[in-house]
Amino acid sequence: MQLRPILLQGHERSLTQIKYNREGDLLFSVSKDHVVNAWYSHNGERLGTYEGHIGAVWTVDVNSSTTLLVSGSADNTAKLWDVSNGKCLKSWEFNTAVRCVQFSEDDKMVLLVTEPRMGFPGTLQIFNVENGVTETVSSDPIYNFNPEGPKITVAAWGALNRYIVAGRENGSVALIEPETGKCISTNKVHELTLTDLQMSSDRTYFITASKDKSAKILETESLEVLKTYTTDTPLNSAAIMPKVQEFVVVGGGQEAMDVTTTSSRQGKFECRFWHKVLEEEVGRVRGHFGPINTIAIHPDGRSFASGGEDGYVRVHHFDDDFFSFKFQI
Amino acid sequence: MPVSATNWADEVDGEDQPQTFTDANGITTTIEYRTNEDGKKVKVTRRTQKKLIHDVVNKAVAARKKWPKFGKEKGNRPGPDPATTNVGDNIKLKLSSTGDIVQDVDEKHEAMKAQLQNKKILCRICKGDHFTTKCPYKDSLGMEDAAASPAAAAEEAAPEEQQTGSKYIAPHMRAGASGPKGGAGDRDSMREKRDEQPTLRVTNLSEDVTEADVSELFKRFGHISRVFLARDRETNQCKGFAFVSFTMREDAQRALEAIDGRGYDNLILRVEWARSSA
Repeated sequence: MQLRPILLQGHERSLTQIKYNREGDLLFSVSKDHVVNAWYSHNGERLGTYEGHIGAVWTVDVNSSTTLLVSGSADNTAKLWDVSNGKCLKSWEFNTAVRCVQFSEDDKMVLLVTEPRMGFPGTLQIFNVENGVTETVSSDPIYNFNPEGPKITVAAWGALNRYIVAGRENGSVALIEPETGKCISTNKVHELTLTDLQMSSDRTYFITASKDKSAKILETESLEVLKTYTTDTPLNSAAIMPKVQEFVVVGGGQEAMDVTTTSSRQGKFECRFWHKVLEEEVGRVRGHFGPINTIAIHPDGRSFASGGEDGYVRVHHFDDDFFSFKFQI
Repeated sequence: MPVSATNWADEVDGEDQPQTFTDANGITTTIEYRTNEDGKKVKVTRRTQKKLIHDVVNKAVAARKKWPKFGKEKGNRPGPDPATTNVGDNIKLKLSSTGDIVQDVDEKHEAMKAQLQNKKILCRICKGDHFTTKCPYKDSLGMEDAAASPAAAAEEAAPEEQQTGSKYIAPHMRAGASGPKGGAGDRDSMREKRDEQPTLRVTNLSEDVTEADVSELFKRFGHISRVFLARDRETNQCKGFAFVSFTMREDAQRALEAIDGRGYDNLILRVEWARSSA
């Protein structure tokens, strides 16, 4: 089958994260060039840009009603934006860079992860954003924790906001209680640092990607490893296809610093499709000429997008062959 | 006399108006005439088919589709901007149940590696101990299997000669035809007298060729004693032919076999023994 990708060239530097909104009609992309872009996912038209950050933007998230957008940056701020017009509604200041942001399931809270750096410990902070009412957003977090242990690189809310799942630099995954900041359980599932952690649509399980060349599906409550997908290249992102096919998509490639010394064939800059249940690789989509930094799948499973170190976002819409594919055992 | 609009010359100009017609299948054909950079008229035919696709979407999605653009896109009209949005090349996604895509790619790679492990690097142009792309003769002869090995070239040259039967060949290019006569004859004979060395006549050279280019092209076959490039008296550009004299007859023979029929500067060179017009 043939895919005709749409190339989005809105960034001048490598992509750090891309995310679809709940309906999947909008795609948000952030990169190291300080800008947040919003795109219509069906035709790749750019809706607008959110300007105000003065450092690399590491992370972005949109709430479920697509009214608020939150972005975290290396300029030590996280900003809350009005999705529809690009206005900055709120800017939170921190001591260090913000590595991860996420709206809670009810849109009322935002989880932020800041880096440990320059003597400041890494923090996990939760801010209250009363959904829709933006003037009253507090500058102070409702919870601010200094979790023990190695640096947290990725974090996500669990189902019903009962847990925060945090991935650490040493490859372990921790379950943290949002009210107390207490670490309920940890499980060292990877050898090397976690690069991505994406929840399934019902948040009962999630997928992790790691530099140790593997991606794993874990159950949220127990942190038990359910599935393992082992590849031959360090992974930067992994996503679960929510509908249509029981697939996961993982992507990565050689470290950006080593890329110039090898050909793009050896770089393995491909999105790999794995069967979620049977743990078999079913296909690959090439196209990027740098490592893939981030992958997002449309909520209806009909398209997916990948953002690479090369500064491009590639949006792929699947065709009928994809939907009719049946895995033969 | 006023220029009448019914002049026959103007009627031809009337074709410049773009024509649009739609056929039964709903395919619209637009024919336009425009003038390109070289001042030449170009006919542009475009066939388009419009297909209206109805898509039922969430109300919120429909509302968002109408949002005015903001930020860097502020004021831009709806629709993808080619500056930021492009369609890439088709990419194959082969879904497979056996996982053979993975091995397939890697095995090929490994097999190639193993194959090349004991191979010495060999230039395809001059058979030297370097990559073909690094060949010093690459620019003078951009050919894959150039004639550093004369035998190979001879084999190739032979069928080429026979092929000519079906194609039209200008009279002066035909085998056995005598070279240009008449006006040029005097000069040619003068040159013949000047030296009795084995000389090749190279024709179908492009305008920008210089003596240096010609000697660059031929010097790898042997020592060249003289290169004469015919130039236009006024423009000082190449007239399309040159004479190359070698010191050794064998070298000249090899050069003839190698270069004759080869592409150079988008033209196909013809090399033959220079003949005295007498």
